[in-house]
Amino acid sequence: MLLNRRSFSKGAAAIRRGRLRKAPITVRGLWILGVVVLAFSGVGLSQTVTVQYRFFTGLPQMDGNWAALKAARDGKVYVGLAYHGGGGHLVLYDSKTDKIVDVGDLTRLCGENALDMGPQSKIHAKFGEGKDGRIYFSTHGGLWFDYARFATPEGYPGAHYMVYDPKTGQVKDFGIGPRFEGVNTGAFDPKFNRIYGLTHPRGHFVYYDVATGAKLDQGRIDNFDSICRTLGIDDEGNVYGSFGEGRIFKYDPRVDSIRELSAQLPTRQKGISLGRDYNKSETAWRVVVWEQETRKFYGVEESATILFSFDPYAGPDGEVRRLGQLCIPEMTNNRNVPYATLSLTLGADRKLYYAAAGKEFDYGGSAGLAASHLITYDLRTGKTQDLGEMHVPDGRPVIGTNAADTGPDGTIYLVGAISVEATVGEQNYGGKIGSIPFRLALFIYHPKAD
Amino acid sequence: MKYRLFVLLVVGLNIGVAAYGQRDPDYDKVVVLQTRIDARDLGYTPLDVIPNGESGISSLTVAPNGYLYGATSGKRSHLFVLIPRHGYVQPLGVIPGATAVTHAVAVSDSGDVYIGTSPEGHLLKYTPQDQFHQGIQIGKPLPVTDLGQPVSGESIFALNIDSTPSIISDRKAGVIYGLTSPNAHFFEYAIAGGKFTDLGVVAQRVPVGEKFEKDKMMSRMLVVDQKGIVFASGENGAFYRFDPNLQKLEELSIHAPAVPGREPWTRVDAFLPDPSGVIYGGTSDGYLFRLDPEKLTVTNLGKPLGQYRIDGLVRGPNGKLYGVGGDKDDMARLFSYDPSAGAYEILGFVDVNRRPYYTWQAYVIGAMASDDRGTVYIGEDERISKLYLFYPWP
Repeated sequence: MLLNRRSFSKGAAAIRRGRLRKAPITVRGLWILGVVVLAFSGVGLSQTVTVQYRFFTGLPQMDGNWAALKAARDGKVYVGLAYHGGGGHLVLYDSKTDKIVDVGDLTRLCGENALDMGPQSKIHAKFGEGKDGRIYFSTHGGLWFDYARFATPEGYPGAHYMVYDPKTGQVKDFGIGPRFEGVNTGAFDPKFNRIYGLTHPRGHFVYYDVATGAKLDQGRIDNFDSICRTLGIDDEGNVYGSFGEGRIFKYDPRVDSIRELSAQLPTRQKGISLGRDYNKSETAWRVVVWEQETRKFYGVEESATILFSFDPYAGPDGEVRRLGQLCIPEMTNNRNVPYATLSLTLGADRKLYYAAAGKEFDYGGSAGLAASHLITYDLRTGKTQDLGEMHVPDGRPVIGTNAADTGPDGTIYLVGAISVEATVGEQNYGGKIGSIPFRLALFIYHPKAD
Repeated sequence: MKYRLFVLLVVGLNIGVAAYGQRDPDYDKVVVLQTRIDARDLGYTPLDVIPNGESGISSLTVAPNGYLYGATSGKRSHLFVLIPRHGYVQPLGVIPGATAVTHAVAVSDSGDVYIGTSPEGHLLKYTPQDQFHQGIQIGKPLPVTDLGQPVSGESIFALNIDSTPSIISDRKAGVIYGLTSPNAHFFEYAIAGGKFTDLGVVAQRVPVGEKFEKDKMMSRMLVVDQKGIVFASGENGAFYRFDPNLQKLEELSIHAPAVPGREPWTRVDAFLPDPSGVIYGGTSDGYLFRLDPEKLTVTNLGKPLGQYRIDGLVRGPNGKLYGVGGDKDDMARLFSYDPSAGAYEILGFVDVNRRPYYTWQAYVIGAMASDDRGTVYIGEDERISKLYLFYPWP
């Protein structure tokens, strides 16, 4: 039995009519679950927006995706799928043939299979596309065991810098960058031809220079709980990230050094305990995107999904402006705004597209089930619009997403989770939220012309 | 009833699911007990603080009056003081000509602070003057007297001071000993006489290794025993002894503990003179040892951690020793050693969690010191660094 909007309605009606006890056990359970979910989501049945979806064929056990999504110029869409305890996978979706291709297990692609070391479980950061069309990325570990295995023979050996060549279908491994650490956050700059990263757990700013093969470490940027999840790169190749109490740093590749700016993010004052505080800081930007026309970054911070712009060229330290709040509108100014997702992208129509979670969403670590909304912010008008709950064509809601990108034709791609019905005898899902199995999917949305 | 239980179960699952966060309350069991540790920024944040990139703490020492002095490494080096009565870190100024000061701050009985610099290799003297009433000005030069360079072309790698009273006139005010880099010279500076003497080297050759291994191996610290004899480690992990009465530096037949075959790459990371007269120390391989300076014996006390390095070693108020281990690309852990029981206790990662106010974990430790009140000071040595205060239990 799949969880969908129709089943919610039918279940509620069944309960009202007192027919629940006569229904089959799985159906009865799900009706109740649906009611509970709705009660806890705080979101009623509302406007919906239909998105297409594609499962990652042959990889139902993949359990997460964070940031690792790239819609390349040639129409291929690259996704990094996480698998805690095992090797994550690099996959691509060919939008021209409508096919999913599994490029491979990351541990194998790194040449570390059968070594009994911590696997390459994730691509946890953004991909980048080079001028030559190659796709650059870094890898990340999955399980950390409270860091008890850090720097041990069985521990995680360290992140690899890598590139996928769509002409040959081959992955090239540039080797380990930071020893024992994963690349938690990353970006590729085609101008200077470098893969940048922030490491987990030690929070170092690192990079790989593709032309020279140099691997450099600029030192620590932040504490591990508040490392920002996106590095922004402007049109001159400067790299920006947030650190500390909503501060912004700038790395200038021309002088190969980091400068801390005085610009301040509009984060909510700390101290609101939502049960997430212990796990996550509320001081960093979550995701930023570069917009060439205004030469500004647009982003959301993590505490209350506050939308801001950051103009790096306004004075020596840049300028940050609060533009609004991109959470589900009913939650605006509320205390319980879910932790911001990584699903922000700039559309071809100069609208920002953001997938807002209905509840704290982190795949198997989610706080509960709720439908994700697709929200836009029009850079031309400054208007925010909630397009509604995202549902796939069969009615299932998109539970949550954590990556977004825009294809060359303006198509919006997201990666996240939808519920599936568990099959007996095999694991056909990536994890569970509560008792509901979920599976990762690529979501596809075609914006309508205004 | 079954259905009510089912509903309760589902509700519980919704509320109780642990997040995939990268730190959860369970993590507190692997870090130092939070009621025993706190951290200090190096100054008054956000402005009057030693800047990131210049804040790696690579020297700490407690002055005879109980003040803690520390020096940083990075793009510039800063000297700072922590007066325990006040409890905050006060930056004192930028150390001229220095980007690193490595276990090279020593304080004389008169209160003068001696600083050995890298890369210029000068010995500087800072005389505190009403420092408590001076405002913090980040970037102002530290007022110092340049006492010169002990060995031409060499930077100062480590310093210690012997304040034992001497009948020799130019040694009455104390003697400073040091090691230089890269060529491992052992030198002395007689404070009253104002004279440097190069007393020889503790390492002649760079050990055979990979092409990236270019250092001659010498101890990161020097130690002075109760008779004024100075000890260091040098080539092949051998101990060296300098007897000021004989003015002689000699290689001893005793060595710092190492896995057989690893002696060429072994050095003493930390020394700690004990009131009993013995000297404790820790090696680059992570062994703790006890050196008897009279009998010239070394006892390997084993490894407190499954990690390389003993980044610092101090004495606590309860007779226990406290140390930190972990290499530059590792995650540092604090441990204790009880000499009376011969027992180790692993105390956990060096982390302070004061959410929602502040939280910070140190991964690399550059120096440690302890005072007679029992406070253990732990200096972080990273691009962004804090000073940790650890209060051992009685």
